[in-house]
Amino acid sequence: MIDLINFYIVPGLVLGSIYALGAIGITLVFSILRFAHLAHGDLATLGAFIAFAIVSGIGASPWAALPFAMIATAIVAVGIDKVFYDYLKERPKILTVMASLGMALMVRSVIQVVWGVDSESYARGIVRPENYFGIRLKDREILTVLAMVVLVVVLQLFLQKTKWGKAMRAMSDNPDLARLSGVDNRLVTIMTWSIVGGLCAAAGFFLGINSEVRSMMGWNMLLPMFAAAILGGVGRIEGAVLGGLIVGLAEELSVLILPSEYKAAMAFAILLFMLVVRPTGLLRGKVL
Amino acid sequence: MEIWGLLNYAIFMATFIGIYALLSLGLNIQWGLGGLFNAGIAGFFGVGAYTSAILTTQPVDGRLGGFDLPIVIGWISAMIVAMLIAWPIEKICSRLRSDYLAIATIGIAEVIRLVIKSEDWLTNSARGITQVPRPFGDLPYFESQLAYLVIVVALVIVAYVLIERQLKSPWGRMMRAIRDNEPAARAMGKHIESRRQEAFIFGAAFMGLGGALFAHLNRSITPEAIDPMVATFLIWIMLILGGSGNNRGAILGAVVVWIIWSFTEILTDQLPHEYAIKAKYIRIFLIGLMLQLVLRFRPEGLLPEPQSGTPMPSEATGQKTKEREA
Amino acid sequence: MGLQTGDVLSMQDYRGGYGDADILHSVSLTVGEKEIVVIVGPNGAGKSTAMKAVFGLLKTRGGSIHFDGNDVSRWAPNKIVQSGICYVPQVENVFREMTVHENLEMGAFLRKGDLRDAFDRVYTLFPDLVAKRSALAGSLSGGQRQMVAMGRALMLDPKLLLLDEPTAGLSPRYMEQIFQITRDVRDAGVSILLVEQHAKQALAFADRGYVLAAGANRHTGTGAELLADREVAEMFLGG
Repeated sequence: MIDLINFYIVPGLVLGSIYALGAIGITLVFSILRFAHLAHGDLATLGAFIAFAIVSGIGASPWAALPFAMIATAIVAVGIDKVFYDYLKERPKILTVMASLGMALMVRSVIQVVWGVDSESYARGIVRPENYFGIRLKDREILTVLAMVVLVVVLQLFLQKTKWGKAMRAMSDNPDLARLSGVDNRLVTIMTWSIVGGLCAAAGFFLGINSEVRSMMGWNMLLPMFAAAILGGVGRIEGAVLGGLIVGLAEELSVLILPSEYKAAMAFAILLFMLVVRPTGLLRGKVL
Repeated sequence: MEIWGLLNYAIFMATFIGIYALLSLGLNIQWGLGGLFNAGIAGFFGVGAYTSAILTTQPVDGRLGGFDLPIVIGWISAMIVAMLIAWPIEKICSRLRSDYLAIATIGIAEVIRLVIKSEDWLTNSARGITQVPRPFGDLPYFESQLAYLVIVVALVIVAYVLIERQLKSPWGRMMRAIRDNEPAARAMGKHIESRRQEAFIFGAAFMGLGGALFAHLNRSITPEAIDPMVATFLIWIMLILGGSGNNRGAILGAVVVWIIWSFTEILTDQLPHEYAIKAKYIRIFLIGLMLQLVLRFRPEGLLPEPQSGTPMPSEATGQKTKEREA
Repeated sequence: MGLQTGDVLSMQDYRGGYGDADILHSVSLTVGEKEIVVIVGPNGAGKSTAMKAVFGLLKTRGGSIHFDGNDVSRWAPNKIVQSGICYVPQVENVFREMTVHENLEMGAFLRKGDLRDAFDRVYTLFPDLVAKRSALAGSLSGGQRQMVAMGRALMLDPKLLLLDEPTAGLSPRYMEQIFQITRDVRDAGVSILLVEQHAKQALAFADRGYVLAAGANRHTGTGAELLADREVAEMFLGG
């Protein structure tokens, strides 16, 4: 039992928290901007590498680099939207999806040119896990889950209690009525991308700090993040968190019955299953 | 010697262009006609390549295969297997927006790649399948290459004619009606979902064939033979640049993009080694940028569709009221 | 005729449409202070379109619209909202996934400062909503949702309220409730212009009415006058 927890459940929750961070961003773009953001994974990679650049550049601690990486990625996300997506907003959304696919490739290739294709790491050396009544946890694992919880709470507070958070929810709910009410669409778009960029950077960072930083890391997360968002219910933040945790656990637990190479296929199986059985997801979100 | 070298290269290039033209034509049926966003083209390509390779090669220890079937059977099977995989994927997504199909096709391409890499007994994993036979393979090099080019070009022409005929048929007209005004078509009782499935499967067949042709051209197929995302993306930009909805556009796009892609490869190959590696990623960046520029400044492509109505499939995503200056 | 004293809204020979074609050819109407004015007419008459014109959603090609002393013919909707006209659309007029209170908050989005008096006003007008303040708007009944929709519009303390078919799809009981609420809103000092499909009932409760057909005026008068008019009755067989 304790082995189950240590070797499967703990990694599953850690991975799930990372997926949750990504899935929240995906669900925000789905519900407010109304398209599938295919560059989401590579934006996460960018965040991870920006943090790496800060760490290796000025020798800062990775934890200190994280907030700056989040801000930088937020700025990049807003910039990408302004240059590459904004002019498409009156046209069918599938074209924005196409542009985002191109963006994924562009962001990834920039990363590959600047930092190469080798694996990097935030810190050197082996980290021993601490023993908590038999459960073995590394500091970074605890911090990953904790950070996810904190970020989700902060985001929910923003969305539920602040004027502009409600404006974002209003745009997601009924864009025409929101505009009638005087909500500035452009401002909501900028806010959405800022939040999405920050969350992407966090997802990439935590994946990097728990494993390694590689140029394909984000793209490999794309499918799980989408599966998580759809599993939870598009537009539901709690759904994205739930979905993320479930996908993460499912991936880690899948090794018990599937060859480990097929971990990545779990997300796909979950995705197809949800699309067939219940596209609105567990918490009944939108279907785009 | 120089002339021969150039000629051989030209024939090789032309063959590649032909294969990509087939892929582009297939995508055109799915996207240009059906409005379906296939982001997993490489998966269907790979499935076609491996199916044909497995069926047409000699028996080998430790791997399924050795059916040693005629090449034509291999190619037809490649198309069939691609269609078999395409069908459930589209069916699952058929009532949902195109975004979901994009994600699902990314997924199926990933899973296919995983299977290819992991299932030793089927695909020989990283080592791949070699000794894939070639039609007219026994001829001297130049003649054999030329023969293959002729076959590929013939197939492209056949495909083009076939698709054009389908376009002019009642099926084709119905597809266009659905694409240009889905609510109206639905109101007329047209079974939208079935038509879309047909378009997706039909297009996938060409992608499978393209993969098979690729495997037989190179006489081998390995997981690393193509970079899946780059291949998928190249075909997309071929179609968008050439003119989606338009078969001639699809072929033209294949020609233009492949020439640009190969030309930039020649250029970057001249660079010193450490830059040459990075250069590959710069090329990918540029091709991504090219798509953005085409989408922005010439979304109808080089050869806009002659028909009335938008070349881009329209979706009933609702029009917003135009906003005046405050 | 220009703006007459006492007129809050005046639309004169208005001509316009959404795209290139005109939907309204010549529409004139006025709304006075503390008045309920209803626009009725057969389908396709341009009733809703006339209202949308007031709200700035149409391309103006002729005539004019004056509100509160200003020529608003070419103003954009958000400027019109700021000047004191609020619009309640027929459908999708609440945020279904937000609570009643949040819906009202969104109604006052453009307002700065203390909103307590605005909330008080709305909750006093619609006491049913007090108990439902934390309920999601999408979970309410049709009549209650209409209250939220109107309450939302009232948060900005408008001078003129535009209601687009407020009783559409409602049972007779709720219909009566909506008419009562509308009268309460008028008595509180807001002028109301509404479009209605249920012509008979609407004319019975409104102060004045305009009958539109094919994008132009046909008849006008008080509610009672129009109800008694034979031509009007013929236009609405069973309406």
